[in-house]
Amino acid sequence: MIPLKYYLILSAAFFSIGIIGVLTRRNAIIIFMCIELMLNAVNLTLVSFSSFFGDSSGQIFVFFVMAVAAAEAAVGLAIIIALFRNKLTINVDEVNIFKW
Amino acid sequence: MTTYDLIFYLFALIILVSAFIVVAARNIIYSAFSLLFTFFGVAGIYVLLNADFIAVVQVIIYVGGILVLIIFGVMLTNKITEVEIKTESFQVLPSIIISGIIGGTLVAIFTKTNWKVAEPQILDKTVTEIGRFLVSHYMILFELAGIILLVALIGSVMIARKEKLETEEVEK
Amino acid sequence: MENNSIQNILESLNYFTPELALMLTFFVLLLVDLFFRKSKYLLPAISLVGFIVSGYLLVYTPDVKGFLFSTGMTNIGLYVIDPFSFFFKILILLAMIYTILFSLSSKEINEAGGNRGEYYVLLSSFALGMFLLTSTIDLLLMYLSFELVSLSSYILAGFTRNVKRSAEASLKYIIFGAVASGAMLYGISILYGLTGTTNLYLINFYLSNQNIESLPLVIAGLLIIGGIGFKISMAPFHFWTPDVYEGAPITITAVLSVASKAAGFALLIRSLKIMFIDYTATNLQSSAWAILSQFKWNELIAGLAVLTMTLGNLAALWQSNLKRMLAYSSIAHAGYMLTGFVILDNQGIMAILIYFFIYLFMNLGAFFVVMLIADKLGSEEMEDYTGLGYKAPFLGVSLTIFLISLTGIPPTAGFVAKLYLFGALIKAKWIWLAVIGVLNSVISLYYYLKVVKNMFLRESEIEYSHNLGHGNLLITLSLLIPTLLFGIYFKPIIEFAEQSVRIFGF
Repeated sequence: MIPLKYYLILSAAFFSIGIIGVLTRRNAIIIFMCIELMLNAVNLTLVSFSSFFGDSSGQIFVFFVMAVAAAEAAVGLAIIIALFRNKLTINVDEVNIFKW
Repeated sequence: MTTYDLIFYLFALIILVSAFIVVAARNIIYSAFSLLFTFFGVAGIYVLLNADFIAVVQVIIYVGGILVLIIFGVMLTNKITEVEIKTESFQVLPSIIISGIIGGTLVAIFTKTNWKVAEPQILDKTVTEIGRFLVSHYMILFELAGIILLVALIGSVMIARKEKLETEEVEK
Repeated sequence: MENNSIQNILESLNYFTPELALMLTFFVLLLVDLFFRKSKYLLPAISLVGFIVSGYLLVYTPDVKGFLFSTGMTNIGLYVIDPFSFFFKILILLAMIYTILFSLSSKEINEAGGNRGEYYVLLSSFALGMFLLTSTIDLLLMYLSFELVSLSSYILAGFTRNVKRSAEASLKYIIFGAVASGAMLYGISILYGLTGTTNLYLINFYLSNQNIESLPLVIAGLLIIGGIGFKISMAPFHFWTPDVYEGAPITITAVLSVASKAAGFALLIRSLKIMFIDYTATNLQSSAWAILSQFKWNELIAGLAVLTMTLGNLAALWQSNLKRMLAYSSIAHAGYMLTGFVILDNQGIMAILIYFFIYLFMNLGAFFVVMLIADKLGSEEMEDYTGLGYKAPFLGVSLTIFLISLTGIPPTAGFVAKLYLFGALIKAKWIWLAVIGVLNSVISLYYYLKVVKNMFLRESEIEYSHNLGHGNLLITLSLLIPTLLFGIYFKPIIEFAEQSVRIFGF
């Protein structure tokens, strides 16, 4: 039997890979993919807790997180496309995204 | 080691390797496709956790919806002949350290804490239970999710069509 | 069970009418926009009516004794209505009504052509999300309404014809926002793992009755505070603020800096207070952080508050763009308000409420005057404001008063706000924090007065004449009079804030 810890550790590793991606990549679309990775890691934690507790509210939470992730991806990609039309680039360092 | 365990390790491996490829691949198309494997791997883990409904929803929404959206985004923004596709990385070392710290802390709290329960319980009829909750206790959230999706729909259409409106106005 | 739950939902809807009014406004705007695209005043009029009706319903909603939407396995629901949420809802409605009025005379919005309809639609969904944020007591509802607010504001920030700047701001906003909400979700999932529930009151119950290990709790708390901190632009999660505020249309900047910050503060105070308070302790001051006693939370928040205000004020010193300067100044103000949160007893919360109420008028006023001048001049650069004080005396004087009030000099209302905040700090023996706050106000005096100096003490040759029109004059006055009046006669706000500190269950 796989204990709860293993699922959680998997999710933590998964989450940190997502963070590395968000911090290092310059392409905005890849950054969005990495954000999806982070959200998936969160969902994994929620589902494992929910399943080990026998409580379905965690799974309902995951359902809503997925809906919101879809909404966020749609808006994000629309913004990326609008930006691309204007500047012909989607590299975050070229849109001054890290200007302080 | 039972088959069950073996399947878990297999899916864990798929998730971690393909997630790493998403982050590290030079070609954005490779990233998008390995994201597909990550999503499927997560769905597999959900099945192992007896969350059948969520596993199916994961495949439908993430693979069928979000991934297709992302691939369309890639196609619309990479005019391969005109613009150079830049996908290289920057500030690699500091970010690995930062996420190492975050991941390490998370792993530490996950292993050190005594979580209350020992084994996954089989919720019989997850679909029924989730469905009942969605229209009773969590009905207001269900409605709210509808509004969120509507807002996203309106917003993305508005942002994406902006260019066309402007050219029309210029022509006038 | 089914019959019972439907009964309960229907009963709860009686108390949910202000939110329902906002939802209705949202849908009506959407439909009207389809058929009457050309009309200039119809959509803002409908949104104004919607907001006013919602405010009317808000005032006349009967007091509830229990939780709303409380069906299912527990009797604890998703939503509460209490004086605390009432205060913030009034604040949000005021800010939204002013935003609609600003939009009527804003050049940026009126030139947007076909997209104007969506602008008002999204403003109403934005208001709805903030309403829900102020009263939610369930992590799930909190996450969803948080995302409703965020999504609406990402889109609104990208709304203008100045596409390049605006789309950049929007992209930056959505990337930072998505990462912040991902981190917050991770915190929520750890909290769910510790307690097995998403309800704030039940979480409090489990935390105080069971032996919970402190490390996961601390990490979960940090992640959640970080996520909310993003919304209120608390350092070190404030990077997005200046660029988004500069790139967004100025009406949106104004509403982001007041309303969305208010919703964020309401959420922060409510969630931490409910989750982490120890009901058994008699002394409120020490019990406020009782459950988290292993970790010095108030010192952490105090540090963050100092960091936020100092970074905001120091960065504001170097700005030449007025909108960007106001963005940094709003970061600094978030820092001042966070100091009230350090105490977390009724005194501190009351000080935050007073501060917010006054901040609403002075900050919206400053943004409105800057918008009027910028629409005329086509620039927000401080250099271009040289000598304006003589060419447009009314606007110059009003802007001066708003800026002085933001600094916190008597006899303006800003002084009263700071007086109560620092007074509460000193009463709670956080003297060093109060001193730093005062020092920061002195720093802020420099950059606020730089604008005033530019307007009045320097001559310029630019031709400028401003015909305000009655509408704009009235709007400016309606912001200006409270800013001055509350500096002298502030009893009503104090009483209103005193009544409003009562959070459900206390």
